[in-house]
Formats: sequence, structure tokens, C-alpha cells
Amino acid sequence: MSTSSPEPLEWLLRPPSGENGFDRKALAALLLDIARNVRPELAGTPDAAPATDIRLEQLRTLLMGHEIELLARLSNILDDPEQLAAAVGRILPTAFAQATGDARLGQVLAPSLEKATQTSIRNDPHTLVNILYPLIVPAIRKSIGETIDRTFQSLNETLKHSLTLRGLAWRWEAWRTGLSFAEVVLKHTLVYQVEHVFLIHRHTGLLICHAAAENAASQDPQLVSSMLTAIQDFVRDSFSGAENQGIDTMRLGELTVWSEPGPIATLVAVIRGKPPEELHDSLNAALSRIHQERHQALQDFDGDGTSLADVEAELTECVALRQARPQKTRFGFPWLALPIAVAVLLFVSARVTRSWQEDRRWDHYLAQLRALPGIVVTETGRRDGKFTLTGLRDPLAADPQQALGAMEIDPANVIARWAPYQALDPQIVLKRLAATLDPPPDVRLSIDGDRIMAEGAAPAAWLERARAIARTLPAGAPILDLASIRNLDAQADRRWDDYVARLRAQPGIVVTETGQRFGKFMIAGLRDPLALDPEVALTEAGIDPAHVIARWAPYQALDPQIVLRRLQATLTPPPTVRFVVEGDRIVAQGSAPSLWLERAHMAARILPSGAPVFDLDAVKTVSDGAIGKLRDDIQARTIRFDNNEPLPASGQDALLDQLADDLKALETLAPSLHVVARVMLTGHSDALGKGTFNLSLSLARAEAVRALLRKRGVDPDLLQVRGAGDLEPILAQPTEAARSANRRVSFTVELEEQL
Amino acid sequence: MTATLQKKICMLGAFSVGKTSLVRRYVSSVFSDAYLTTVGVKIDKKAVDLDGRTVNLILWDLAGEDDVNALRLSYLRGAAGYVLVADGTRPATLDVALSLRGRVENDYGPLPFVLLLNKNDLPDQWTITEGDMIGLRNAGWWVRSSSARTGEGVEDAFIDLASRTLR
Ligand SMILES: Nc1nc2c(ncn2[C@@H]2O[C@H](COP(=O)(O)OP(=O)(O)OP(=O)(O)O)[C@@H](O)[C@H]2O)c(=O)[nH]1
Ligand SMILES: [Mg+2]
Repeated sequence: MSTSSPEPLEWLLRPPSGENGFDRKALAALLLDIARNVRPELAGTPDAAPATDIRLEQLRTLLMGHEIELLARLSNILDDPEQLAAAVGRILPTAFAQATGDARLGQVLAPSLEKATQTSIRNDPHTLVNILYPLIVPAIRKSIGETIDRTFQSLNETLKHSLTLRGLAWRWEAWRTGLSFAEVVLKHTLVYQVEHVFLIHRHTGLLICHAAAENAASQDPQLVSSMLTAIQDFVRDSFSGAENQGIDTMRLGELTVWSEPGPIATLVAVIRGKPPEELHDSLNAALSRIHQERHQALQDFDGDGTSLADVEAELTECVALRQARPQKTRFGFPWLALPIAVAVLLFVSARVTRSWQEDRRWDHYLAQLRALPGIVVTETGRRDGKFTLTGLRDPLAADPQQALGAMEIDPANVIARWAPYQALDPQIVLKRLAATLDPPPDVRLSIDGDRIMAEGAAPAAWLERARAIARTLPAGAPILDLASIRNLDAQADRRWDDYVARLRAQPGIVVTETGQRFGKFMIAGLRDPLALDPEVALTEAGIDPAHVIARWAPYQALDPQIVLRRLQATLTPPPTVRFVVEGDRIVAQGSAPSLWLERAHMAARILPSGAPVFDLDAVKTVSDGAIGKLRDDIQARTIRFDNNEPLPASGQDALLDQLADDLKALETLAPSLHVVARVMLTGHSDALGKGTFNLSLSLARAEAVRALLRKRGVDPDLLQVRGAGDLEPILAQPTEAARSANRRVSFTVELEEQL
Repeated sequence: MTATLQKKICMLGAFSVGKTSLVRRYVSSVFSDAYLTTVGVKIDKKAVDLDGRTVNLILWDLAGEDDVNALRLSYLRGAAGYVLVADGTRPATLDVALSLRGRVENDYGPLPFVLLLNKNDLPDQWTITEGDMIGLRNAGWWVRSSSARTGEGVEDAFIDLASRTLR
């Protein structure tokens, strides 16, 4: 025995290790006790027992060797996580199977499963597809059925049972027995019965024929078949890879919907309870019989079921299929639930939620708008599924459209009408001022209560513009306070003021308007063309003409100074005439040719009323002066001739010299007086001799005198000659004395004003 | 018994043009201002008497096409005809309708259809001219303006379409 197996012995002999070791002393005492019972004379104390008595261990092994070994193996398994997992794994399915009756299992597992599914779908939606696809394979049909079952169960229950008598009875049962309501429902649906059979045209989805069990609830089978088709279409579309494979099983609560596809038509059976797999064979058999017998009619089907009416007999047979007696009472087909199932499968999202959210956002949006300066909401509402909104909006206010986008409201759903208006909110007025005033960089505008404060420094022109705009702000608007603005142009202003003052003092200039506009000085007025040139004055004042806008209208000034200048310009008086202003009179002094004097008198007469008087009384005519004396002197002289002689009689050289001097004086004086002088030399003869001879003799005498004068330096152009013959005698007596007086050359001086 | 004459009719058009509203007006004679967008498909039925026969129109009200959801053309399989719907107050929806018609024709060949320019009870927002309609009619189209709100043009369109599916 023990000798043949030394290992357990060694194991036993190892010194005690922690709590797992056993108390050898106690064991020895126990054995001693037994021995004493057998042989009471045996005495001794446990203390006497040696700590390691080999026999003790042998005894222990003898008694419990098997258990010790078993314990050792188990503890090994428990200590090794891998072995433990393998062991638990082996029993887990059975454990789950046993625990299904316990509602807690589902509760415990559900959250982890949900989370895992969500993560998986979020990571890759295809995972879901890939998971669903193999589920269509018949082998897993059952599990998909259960999954869908669970989805619909609660729906159906609440919809179907909660208010029916049956539903209340079952609820009562569930409450009484302590089972879950679902379990009660299941208990009652263990029997299967085919309740409806639809033959559906695959291509159109239209119903070819329908049969229902006598007591089955009925709804419009045409609608139902279209809905089933729509579901199939959706599934086919949504799960690529399942193109030809729609759903063949669907669970709606306690109802199972089986879809058996044939080449042209699909047979759909609605079965209550849990149908056996063999039912597929029965249904398929019926379907292929129909295809066989009515192949042509099926192919020709285009919505007209009359030719296929006899198929109903075949379907009615299917409806009769059942495993046990149907329950006396049962649920109707949850027709109500079918459209809802469609809805769930197609993820119909009720717009109600969406529109509720939209309403919230809309209210929020309106509140925001109302808070905006420059926006006044006058009316809101809803029309034709759209939001309507009317109000006033300052063009400078925030864009309501933009706020719409930020609120995630579709602008297409909003009909907004904004009438423009001018808001008086300080913020908006500030914006408007900033836009219209275009303040220089050194100027800051800020709101202070209901005032808009401007601070900084600005050119005078801007300041003036700002003042003008401040004055035109509408009543009720905040005040624009410009008092804190420093004028950058004070010095330029002073220069300008001086300039304007100088112009105002000028005769012939009337300043009607001065100011500053668009950053420039502005001056306007009347100016006589003869007055001071304002441009020149500008340069003299040191003002840049580029900064000045001047507008001068011409006019005739009546200041004596200007009138004097005008008279001077128009009358061009000879240098012998001077004009002076005496009070409000203009007095002309000196001498002038009579013709000029005549024009001057004329001008004096047509001066406008209010103009100064033009006094010409002090001007003498030209002939009164030196030139008149010269003229008289020259005209008083004659040159005498002997009978028949063309040359002057001797002894007149001094006379000729004197004459030549006078003429030369005339020659120089005349131009200075603006006078053209002409001197006519007329030759005369006595009356003896023939007339023609006398005529040529008289001309010859005049020519001779001219030649003599020319010799003395007189300009020949000044002198003209003519012969008068004996036609202009001085004395008409027939005496020698008279004849001698007539033989002469006389002088006439013509003074003509130069024009 | 069940099997009388049935015809599958699809409602096509951009979103929110009033497809669902037109079906509700036609089938149940009601109208609502609330907008519940259709997701996927909604099926309704209406029986009409044509040439002494009862025809059951199975109306497939398809989700409107928008930028995100293109029409699932597979829903048109087996349709006998379709109603194209555009919103007369939104010209872009007419373009969508024309494009849809092209795609349907591509996949299923020529099918009878009618074109409804809906919401004609909103004249102040109306954007389609008489000229546009005449142009479409000259192209051989059956075009009407309609209103799911007042019911104008609705019955006509379905009856006309139904009678053409019988030929
Ligand atoms: N004024 C007016 N509004 C209409 C008319 N028809 C529909 N509406 C409105 O337009 C909105 C959209 O109508 P639906 O019938 O849901 O549009 P739908 O084409 O089905 O839209 P989807 O299903 O999203 O494609 C709803 O608010 C309706 O009240 C109409 O004839 N006149
Ligand atoms: Mg719709």
C-alpha cells in the first residue's frame, strides 16, 4: 500500500504550509482518542505524539488518499485561468440552457450585448449585413425568428392585448402565476395553424389569390401582399449579397410568416404558433402544383386575377393545415401591427419629432431675432408647413438669414418679409454713423448711455461734416457728441479766415458764401473782372489752391476804383488826361482831342445809376493847347512869288526856316496827342495868262515850297500839295498889288484824332 | 373573393411636393398641413369603377427624392403607371420630376404617367407659367395643376392614368 506509492506520502510529510496545511497535532489526538475507546487502558497525551510520526501520515493516507488526490487536481484547475476557462466553457451552454427559465439571465446579459452590438455597428455597418446574411440560411432561421420575435413582441402585446379581454385575462394569469407576460403568451401559442395564404405575383407584387382560415381576422389582403413585397424589395436592396434572397421567414409576435418563392409567384403563409420544418414541404408542394397547372395563366397575369380564381381551392387546402386543434379563442392577425412592422423595418421616422424640434429651434430663433438691434418682429406664424415671419429690419442690422443657418433651420421652410426701416438703437446708429462719416483713424466712436461719443482728433473738414450729420439725425436718435474732437486744421483755418477777410475788403469782390466742404475750403461770390485776382491773393496768403474750391460769378462793380479802371480800359485816354477819384466822383484832368472828349462824355452819360459821377469838365480840347497854336502859326504864313515864276521870290529864306521848324514841332507833338496832322500846301497864280497855264504854275509853286521844306528836314509825308490856279484869290482887284498878293503858296493844317 | 383587377401605381417626385398628401386626398378625402416625410414606401389602395369594372389601384407612395435619398427604382417593378408630382411653387422640383421620368423610362421602358404640378392653391408663390404647361402638353404629356388641399385635379389625374393602364 503506502510503500508502493511514496509520492502522496512525501506530500503528506511536507511541513504544514499556511492555512492549507492541516493540524497534525489534532489528528494525533483524534487517533489517540479512538485508540483509547478501543483500549481504555491506553494512556498518553497528544503532546507525547511526535510532530512527525510517520505512522500518523500513513493512517491519514489510508483513510483519505482518494479525496486528497481529487482535491489536488481541482485546486490545480482553479489556479490555472486557462484550465478554468476551458472547464467553465464546457458547461456554459448547459448552464445557459438551464438558466433560461431565470429572467435575471437576460437582464444581466442584455446591457453588455447591446453595447457590443452598438460598437460593432458603429465601427462598420457592413458587419451587421454580414451578420444578417448568413442568418437567412435556413439552418439559422430559428434564431433570426427569435430575434425578430423579441422586437415585435412588445409592440404587439401593447397594441393587441392590452385592451382586449384576452389580453387582460392573460395579464391576470401572468400576475397570478408570477410568470412574465411573454411566457404566458408563449404557453398559449404552442399549437400552430396556417391562418392566411397569399399567392403573390413576384414581378408586380400584386395579389393573385388569397385564402384565410374561417375564423382568422381579415384585412385587405391586396394591401398586405403589396406591403410584404415592399419589405422584400427593401431587404433585397439594403443588403447587398442577398439580391435574390429576400426574407423567407418573418415573425410577428406569435405569428410566423413564411415566404416560399416560386418562379413566377410566391406563396406566403401566415402561421400561428411554432410550425414544424415539414410544413415547408407541404407549402412548396402546393406552390409547385399551382405553377405546373396554371403556368400560362401565371405568366400572363397583369393584375387581373379572374382567370386564376380557381387557385383558391389549392390555397384553402393549405389554410387547413394545423398540428392541433386551434384554440377556441385566439388573437386575430395583428393587422394593425403589420404596417407598423413595415414602418419599423423601413425606419420610418415620424416627422412629428422632427417638427417638434424644429418648433423649438424656431422659437429660439425668434427670441434671438427679437434681441437683435435694428430688427423688429411684427408677426410670426405657420402656413402650408412653413414658418412665416414679417417685420422691420434696418439694412445695417444682422442678417436674419444667416442666423437661420446657425440655428439649423432650413431657409426653404421660412417665408420672411422684411420691410426696411431706420432703427434708432444706439448700436445701429453708431454703425450707420461709422459708415457715413467714415471717421479718420484717430477718431473713436462709442456708446455712452443714449449718446454716441466721438473722441480723438480730426481735420476741420471732417468735423464740419460730422456736425452737419449730427444736426440731421432724426428726433429720438441718440445724440452725436463731437465736443471731445480736437481740430487738426486750426492754423489753416486762420489763414483762410484772413484770406476771406482780405477779399471782402476788396473793391469789385462780393463774397456770398464761405465754408468747408469735402475737406476743402469753399468760397463763392461775385467778382468784377477788373477786381483783384483771388487766385493771386490765395498764393499770397500761402494757401494751397488745390485745397480750395472757388466759384466766382462776374459782375459789374460800381465802386469808384473799379469804375475808374473800367473807364480807363474802355476810353484809353491820351497821356495828357488823368483820372482821379474824389469822394464818389471820378474826375478827368488834362487835355484831349475833341473827338475823344466827345466819346468820354458819351461814356459818362451811359454810366449806370448808382455809379460814381464821371466829371469831364476839367478836360480841355487838344486845339486849345500847343498844337492849336502851332496850327494857327503855320496857317498864318504865306510864301510869295514873282510874276510867272514857279520859285519863291527872294528874301523869304528866314520865313521858310521858321515854317520848317513849326512843321517839325507839329510832327513830334501830334503823335503824343494821338493826333494825326496833315498840312496842305496850296499853290496860287494871278489871273493873267491862260487858266490851264495858271493851274500848272500854281501846282509847280506848291511843289517847289514842299521841296524847299523837305530840304529843311520836314517829313514830306506830312505835306500834301495842290494847285488852285487863279480860282482862290485873296484880292480880286485888277491892280498889281492885288495880283502880287494872289501869287503865293498858302498852308492849311488838319488835325485829326488817331483812332 | 379577392382577385379582381389590380394595378400598381407609383407616386414619384421630389420630397415634400405632396405625393403623400395627394394619395390621402384621393383615398381618404382629407388633407393636413403637417409634413410627415415618407421613408421607404407607403402603400394604399383605392377602388375605382372604369368601363363597368372595379379596378383596385395599389398606390405605392415612394419616399421623395432629395439630395440624400435617391429613388429606389426597384419599387417600380411591375408598376402599370406612375404619377409624377412636382411642386408648382418650387421650380427645381419640376426638374427632379423630369429626371425621374427619364430614369424610369430607362429601366422600365415607356409607362403611362401623368404629371401633376401640385399646390396650385398658392397662386402668389406659383412659378410655373401657362407656357411651360403648354410646352409639356405639346410634347404629348398629360399635365395638370393640382392641389391636395382643395382636391383640384387630383381625381382626374388618377382616373386618366388608370384608364390608360387598361389599354
Ligand atoms: N398648400 C398646399 N400644401 C400642400 C399641398 N400638398 C401638400 N402640401 C403640403 O406640403 C407638405 C409636404 O406634403 P407631403 O404630401 O408630405 O409631401 P411628400 O411629397 O409626400 O414628401 P416626402 O414624403 O418627404 O417625399 C405638407 O406640409 C403638406 O401639407 C397642396 O396642394 N397645397
Ligand atoms: Mg410622402
